[in-house]
Amino acid sequence: MMEQPLTARSWLKMLANLERRRLNLAAFLGVLAGLQTVIIVVGVAWLVDQLVVHQQTPHQLVSGLAVLAFCVLGRGACQWGQEVVSLEASLRIRQYARRQMLDKFWVLGPVWLAYRQSGGLATQAVENIEALDGYFARFYTQLRITVFLPLVILCVVARLDYLVAIFLLISAPIIPLFMALVGMGAERVNREQFAAVARLSAHFLDRVRGMTTLQLFGRTQSAHRDVWWATDDYRRLSMRTLRLAFLSSAVLEFFASVAIAVVAMYVGFGLLGYIDYGPSTSLTLFSGLAVLLLAPEFFQPLRTLSQHYHDRATALGAAESLVTVLNESSIQRSSVPTPASGRHIAYLEGIYVEYPGRGRVLGPVNLTVNQGDVIAISGPSGSGKSTLLALLAGFLSPSQGELELTAPHYAWLDQQPALLHGSLADNLRLADPTVDKTAMLAALSKAGLGELLSQLPDGLDTLIGERGLGLSGGQAQRLALARIYLSDASLILLDEPTASLDNDTEEMVIQALLNWAGEGRTLVMATHHPMAISAARRHLRVREGLLEEVAYEA
Amino acid sequence: MKHSVPSRLSMMAQTRQALLPWVALMTRRWPRFLVGALLVWLTLAAGLSLLGLSGWFITACALAGIAMLFGLPSSLDVYVPGGGIRFFALLRTVARYIERLYNHDTVLRLLADLRYRVFGRLTRMDEAALRRHRMSDWLGRLTADIDALDNLYLRLLMPPLVSLLVIVGVSLFAAIWLPGMALWLGSVLFVLWVGLTYGMARLCFAQSHRQIAYQEGLRRLVIDQLQATAELIAYQSAAWHRQQVADHENAALDNQRRLGRHTAMGNSVIGVITGLLLLLVFWFGGALVADGTLAGPILVMLLLIILGINEVFVQLPAAFARLGSSVAAAERLNALAVDTPAKEQKLPAHELDVVMRGVIHRYPSSAQPALDDVTFELGCGEQAVITGHSGAGKSTLAALLTGRLKASQGEVEIGGCEPWAIKETQRSRRIVLLTQQVDLFDASLEDNLRLGNAEASDASLWKVLEAVALDDWARTLPAQLKTPVGERGQQLSGGQARRVALARLLLMDPSIVILDEPFAAIDHATAEHVARALSDWLEGRTAIFFVHHGSRLLMQQVKHHWHLSGGKLGPGR
Repeated sequence: MMEQPLTARSWLKMLANLERRRLNLAAFLGVLAGLQTVIIVVGVAWLVDQLVVHQQTPHQLVSGLAVLAFCVLGRGACQWGQEVVSLEASLRIRQYARRQMLDKFWVLGPVWLAYRQSGGLATQAVENIEALDGYFARFYTQLRITVFLPLVILCVVARLDYLVAIFLLISAPIIPLFMALVGMGAERVNREQFAAVARLSAHFLDRVRGMTTLQLFGRTQSAHRDVWWATDDYRRLSMRTLRLAFLSSAVLEFFASVAIAVVAMYVGFGLLGYIDYGPSTSLTLFSGLAVLLLAPEFFQPLRTLSQHYHDRATALGAAESLVTVLNESSIQRSSVPTPASGRHIAYLEGIYVEYPGRGRVLGPVNLTVNQGDVIAISGPSGSGKSTLLALLAGFLSPSQGELELTAPHYAWLDQQPALLHGSLADNLRLADPTVDKTAMLAALSKAGLGELLSQLPDGLDTLIGERGLGLSGGQAQRLALARIYLSDASLILLDEPTASLDNDTEEMVIQALLNWAGEGRTLVMATHHPMAISAARRHLRVREGLLEEVAYEA
Repeated sequence: MKHSVPSRLSMMAQTRQALLPWVALMTRRWPRFLVGALLVWLTLAAGLSLLGLSGWFITACALAGIAMLFGLPSSLDVYVPGGGIRFFALLRTVARYIERLYNHDTVLRLLADLRYRVFGRLTRMDEAALRRHRMSDWLGRLTADIDALDNLYLRLLMPPLVSLLVIVGVSLFAAIWLPGMALWLGSVLFVLWVGLTYGMARLCFAQSHRQIAYQEGLRRLVIDQLQATAELIAYQSAAWHRQQVADHENAALDNQRRLGRHTAMGNSVIGVITGLLLLLVFWFGGALVADGTLAGPILVMLLLIILGINEVFVQLPAAFARLGSSVAAAERLNALAVDTPAKEQKLPAHELDVVMRGVIHRYPSSAQPALDDVTFELGCGEQAVITGHSGAGKSTLAALLTGRLKASQGEVEIGGCEPWAIKETQRSRRIVLLTQQVDLFDASLEDNLRLGNAEASDASLWKVLEAVALDDWARTLPAQLKTPVGERGQQLSGGQARRVALARLLLMDPSIVILDEPFAAIDHATAEHVARALSDWLEGRTAIFFVHHGSRLLMQQVKHHWHLSGGKLGPGR
């Protein structure tokens, strides 16, 4: 799908392109607001000149005041527009990026996910994508404004007094230099701070995570003191680097201040006639005051940019880690299953499965699963049982061989059934979103959860999981059974459904297996359970990636 | 997920209730706050003075220049204002630099205080609360919440204080020449200040208060997708779930959109109000200049100060728009505070027996009791094996025996004392537990071992490593005992980590030993070696083994064998 691996930068650029029009509009509005600021400060200088030098009264200047009042309102509107439009762009970009991420998780599939921490991946899709906000909502727009606005201001200044313009121009080549300096400074600080904060947080969380152990060993007091000292040590260390790092922003501050001071002195002495060089003889209060007020405006976009600089670093850091997921290559089947002919549910011929880094895990495998087969697959852990099931479920594409699957949908049950953070009903809808309440109740009681349900005041709406009712492993497995009861899937895939269950639930599961087999459904299960194996009509054994049919009854 | 918009009173009450304990903690550092605020004030004042004085200087020069053209003598002293301009330019730069350093230092000190307090609360949590938190992604939230409070000072406490001080300063300064105008100038600025602080907070409180909840909800849905991918593909219900994610995301982004629009409005209001104020001052002040009652340079100075005053307000809208999220963070942290009664009981010095009578334990969140009418007696020096599947109630039983949980019903006694009420220092020395999930800390191997006994010599560390068959391995490490084990002991394999955890117990001299799956993830040959060392050490101690399946070797060793299933304890099979 993608020829070149994404980089953080190329991905951010691609995202920005999606909302190019909004982002450009926001930058345009920002420049417009800046231009209105120019009009306001030049206008104030003109008004003051008229009042003080030309002895006009405010009443005679009312039209000028009205224009400025209009600009003040217009600037407010433009600023508002800039923020709102770039916020909108940022919201849409994040929504797009999150979809891209969730689609990617989807494409990578359950086999890839099995080896990852879902908490960490969720951080990618939620927090890391939120971290892109500042870059698109602020930095990106401000960068464009910074390129354009100082130029405009310079032109206005040049018309008023070219000496001041030259002074600003001389500092202009220094600006990219300082931008780089500030950038480097900010980036370094950001990196170092980030690393230090991460180390410190890790120390804190390490102690919090081990709280049970600290309590057991009676060490909570000393750990408590440690937490304070670690943070304080970090403070002393980081102050040392910050002393240098803050210098870069102080330099910008210094430039803005010095610009005002130098221009003020130049204009003042020029007006007094102490300077008779170039344009200084034609200085008026109007032009003098205007250039004085424009000098800090010249530096303002750059100062704003430096305030938003950390947004860029944050976004790049987040993008860096998001891109590593987006660049993962999928091992899941992407194509629609080829319809198998006749009574076959699945047809495998000369199938090999290889995982990157692990080599061959399965193959060569030849297997035909017929309608109504009840197949038990056994074998030591790591032999490839789960891989075979994943293959039948379409979670994997074989690296070699011919695979035909027909079942449009099927039921799935493994050792640790997934529980959604929602109500019992939500967890059942997973199997069939359109199912009604009666069917849910029936399925739950079939799965042996009727008694539990009757104890719950909220019934099917009871929340389960972290924020609600805690279910034991056995109860969770029964809930998963209820899902299968709800679905009319003709093929049921089960990955060690009875592992680590209490006896009652184990019996329940076995009974359910027998029922389904009786109904003529097709069952394929990886299991060690002797009763499950004896219930099967076919028994396959997997050893070191090879399949061997142990028993077959037609 | 529904939040009603809090009424006016409740926002204030909610804010006060949530933040007061933290603000109280922060105000212990009030001298630093004061200095920090003064430095910020000085920076802003220097900036305004620089602009104002420059304006005055230019105008005065212009007037003097015109006067000289007419041949009038000029009495303008250019050196004092010139020096002033240079001074303020320098002062602004230096004050800004010092202010940033100083306040950053303060913030980091606060971070230490905050973490100290939160950690203190966590140390008093019982096993049920810890377990609840262990399940979720609460840990990541915890540091984010602390950081949110850490920002309280830089965002919510100092900027409004400093801007108020600047308003007062500017008004007083203006009052030197124009007392009447200064009054309404100050009033308008004060109203703006109230609008940007209280007004913004009110406008955005509900939205910012629920922002994290939205994010957490989204996170849960994403985790659902990740964990249920197999089921969602199998049952072809992916579209249904993706729709839920999309709906929730839309709601979350809508919330952000509204918050962002309010903040944008706050930001543009600053420019509009100060801009119009500038024109008003020109209008009224200009009339006075035209009258000749006010000197032109003075008016220009005041105008330029007002032109620069928006810098004083810029931080306020965004900071106060997010008040709700700070309050929400504080509320989450406040929820961690627990009242635990003083633990004063002392264990008898002799060997200890264990008695449980009719113990029932029920976690608030689960439908069935974790332990259901458990009764057993274990005499001094006797050993027992309790078998059971995971989830049968073993960890609850262990938590009750180690006094980290109080039984909902029934009696738990160790040496005649209730474990829950035994002094922590005594309990931790006399009753030890090898937990199923081993916690190693991100420190060196020896530090992790010395958790068992801080005074242990290197020789005894090697001895216990030998007992758990890790001595050969440890000797091959370049740093030997000083080898870091990594965060959560990740540098070690699961089996090694368990053996290190066991070794640190062997450094102790307890009366009661509870071992949860001591031989899990250890290969057979090593397990035999460890079992021999362990049985020597257990000689004369009261011990309970929790295991999935009892091995014959173990069964021969112990006096009792019980089986735990569904919270009920019965005879072993």
